[in-house]
Amino acid sequence: MHETQLPQNPLHEGLIRQRTPGPCVLVIFGATGDLTHRKLFPALYNLAHEGQLPSSFAIVGFARRPKTNEEFRTELRQGVEQFSRFSPINPAQSGVNPAVWDALAQGIYYHRSEFADDKGYGSLGELLEQIDRTHGTAGSRLFYLATAPTDFARIIQQLGALGLVHRVRNQTASQRIIVEKPFGRSLDTARELNRVLAGVFDERQIFRIDHYLGKETVQNILAMRFANEIFEPLWSQKSIDHVQITVAESIGVEGRGAYYDNSGALRDMVQNHMMQLVSLVAMEPPISLEAEDIRDEKVKVLRSIRPIAPEQVQQFTLRGQYDRGSIAGKQVVSYHEEPNVALDSRTETFVALKLFLDNWRWAGVPFYLRHGKRLPKQAAEIAIQFKAPPAVLFAAEQAAPLQPNVLVLRIQPDEGIAIRMNAKVPGAAMNIQPVKMDFRYGGSFGARSPDAYERLLHDAIAGDSTLFTRRDEVECSWSIMDAILEGWKDESPPAVYESGTWGPVEADQFIEKDGRQWRRP
Amino acid sequence: MSNLGQLETFTAGAEIAVDVAQIERQLHVLWQLASESAKDPTQRAITRASLLNLVAYCETDAARNHATETISTLTTRHPCRAIVLLAKPYESRDELSASISALCHLAGGGRKQVCCEQISICASGEGTGRLGSAVLPLLESDLPTVIWWQGNFLARPGLFLRLATVADKLVYDMSAWEAPEVFLGAVQRLAVDQQRCSLADLSWTRLEFWRKLTAECFDNPRCRAVLDRIRSVEIAHGNGPGARLRALLYGGWLAAQLRWTPQEALAKIRLNSRDDAYATAVGLLSVELKTADATICIRKNYGDRTASVQVTMPQVCDLPRKRAFWPTDDAALLSEELDHAAPDLVRQWALAMAAALLPLLRET
Repeated sequence: MHETQLPQNPLHEGLIRQRTPGPCVLVIFGATGDLTHRKLFPALYNLAHEGQLPSSFAIVGFARRPKTNEEFRTELRQGVEQFSRFSPINPAQSGVNPAVWDALAQGIYYHRSEFADDKGYGSLGELLEQIDRTHGTAGSRLFYLATAPTDFARIIQQLGALGLVHRVRNQTASQRIIVEKPFGRSLDTARELNRVLAGVFDERQIFRIDHYLGKETVQNILAMRFANEIFEPLWSQKSIDHVQITVAESIGVEGRGAYYDNSGALRDMVQNHMMQLVSLVAMEPPISLEAEDIRDEKVKVLRSIRPIAPEQVQQFTLRGQYDRGSIAGKQVVSYHEEPNVALDSRTETFVALKLFLDNWRWAGVPFYLRHGKRLPKQAAEIAIQFKAPPAVLFAAEQAAPLQPNVLVLRIQPDEGIAIRMNAKVPGAAMNIQPVKMDFRYGGSFGARSPDAYERLLHDAIAGDSTLFTRRDEVECSWSIMDAILEGWKDESPPAVYESGTWGPVEADQFIEKDGRQWRRP
Repeated sequence: MSNLGQLETFTAGAEIAVDVAQIERQLHVLWQLASESAKDPTQRAITRASLLNLVAYCETDAARNHATETISTLTTRHPCRAIVLLAKPYESRDELSASISALCHLAGGGRKQVCCEQISICASGEGTGRLGSAVLPLLESDLPTVIWWQGNFLARPGLFLRLATVADKLVYDMSAWEAPEVFLGAVQRLAVDQQRCSLADLSWTRLEFWRKLTAECFDNPRCRAVLDRIRSVEIAHGNGPGARLRALLYGGWLAAQLRWTPQEALAKIRLNSRDDAYATAVGLLSVELKTADATICIRKNYGDRTASVQVTMPQVCDLPRKRAFWPTDDAALLSEELDHAAPDLVRQWALAMAAALLPLLRET
């Protein structure tokens, strides 16, 4: 029989669905926006559908537009019907399970206020106390900043000034905040936002979101590296020639011209998502799967990246901007012709970087990063290119040198892992050809994976910050980007590339000068 | 039938009769054909995947059909080599026959067919004695083996013990047994004795929703404080299959987790049965936990598939909280069990306590 002393809540012991978090009220600032309707609420509904939300759970939407609770719930339900992964294939049917929705909807409230209005926060406090009494949420809060970044600081300061946040110390109730991207647009602005956050919240209460970390395949990088003995001995400069990380998008700026023109590919994709991929691929094994242990190792990777001084940007970086062209047979406009983009804009829509990690494991191994818009297809992958095998043995019988092995971690679409290896072609001759062994998640697990926001929201409600970025991670990453941005200031305009191609021709030259080639994802 | 015709039949899910000794060879031929059927090898229309061997044991045609349907659903999340055994020991014919079929579903935007294979072996009369020897060579190496036994495995000790030696997990459903309470002690001893193979009773897995809802009532620290002051527990259940057993298991679980002695548990727990046309597959209707000044009630709602929780105690005035039942069909329950390989100690403690609480059943 088990021990006699009662653990904290012994009734949770042994439950299969153990990961259901404790009581909580989720307060979404910017609750009438696109993110809430397309991502957050469908994710919350999916969690409820899977029984992953606590029964003591409520949601408050905080936004400027006048709206009743009922109107808010109706709008949210429409979003869920459209975007939930449990939506039916046949659009004529409603995919919403009424029992699940009713249980969720009874805890949904709308609170109208300006983000700068003191009274609005006062009445929010009253509403939250009432919800604590009626929904058993016990003072636990999760604030979600889904507004424009310009509102972040004001909301955080108001929450602090009006007593809606208690520091984590000496409190049984948890109070946390999720901050959406972009987290600053430079090292200085990121530091300033961190300073504002630190004025109200402890670091362990802060959850900086990077939705890439919520993707199953990104999480699987850790599983693949550290749950399989066969890869780790090869995972270093001894066996690896170089690493290529590609995040290609076929879409353009899609109505986000004003934001994007002020941001660019480096800030929008490289500083956050791609640097996270670099960290996960290159990190040392953490001592545990605890959030801090994993994040400690990721930060070490970022700190080991050799800074690119402004005068080195030509050697280690390349910028591009898309011109007219065609994608999947459809004509598309140039970047300059996009709405809300300046006619003389020099904002990059394509970027290639060569990074070196000055540490023992990766000394001398270049990491090539490539991201662009209006490329031929959507693809995100990490390719580990191994060194070529010695040619001596098969050279006499082979017309061409043996291809080096490549391990590809495909993040999207068609998530999976592929290995290119050499094998003998059946027949009398020793003819060796590369063959691809391909593991596809979709081919092995038919069930649809949870959306990234599902996982991230669940973890934030549960207080697990493993898949969120820490202050030093963000600042480290920005310090690398800042130097590049500084160097680009005096550079010639970005190289132009035709939409629907794999970037400017200069991008090919960028890697070919090292005797290597970009992969075709 | 031509090779291509056979391939189409196979991948469409229809069964192809094969000699028991030729099962592997025939599967190899058909998968080879499937692999070569696409003109562009990079766009092969069929992918095979397997995470485990799943052996489903059945004794009736209805159970076999149920197993096939369940496995078909299950393979979207747990692709496996499925081996369905149909044993009819009481038939006079001495026979052992086999068939193979593919379980395919679309993936990757509906372009690709992801397939698993199902091997069906039917044995009757003395042929049932040879089932074990037919199954063992069919288990894929390096994969865990799970046996889903429909019926009472204690009634077929020969085959059960032979399969149990190679199994990593045995899944069964005591609610489908006749007078399951009689076997509680034997199953509990078996669970303790079996070192290699963990036991999972779907009847217990079905209780997860009620256990979770109960646990969540005590997440609030003020409520948790009353856990050790519970004076009475009233569990109402319907009269459907296994409902009484699950009420007993629920009581056993609560008592074991709260470290009650069997005597304390017998004094505090009461089971009540009543007819309920709308009872769920779990069969519990309500649970009421009382202290001197607090009542925690979990009640299945009528008219929809939800349950409500009401906590009544000083300084806590929660609204009744509603939660939707989650699926308790065999595919969903099996899927949960396949996700969790570790032995379930809480179930073992609950089972031991439930065995001690059997006198409660005489009162209902």
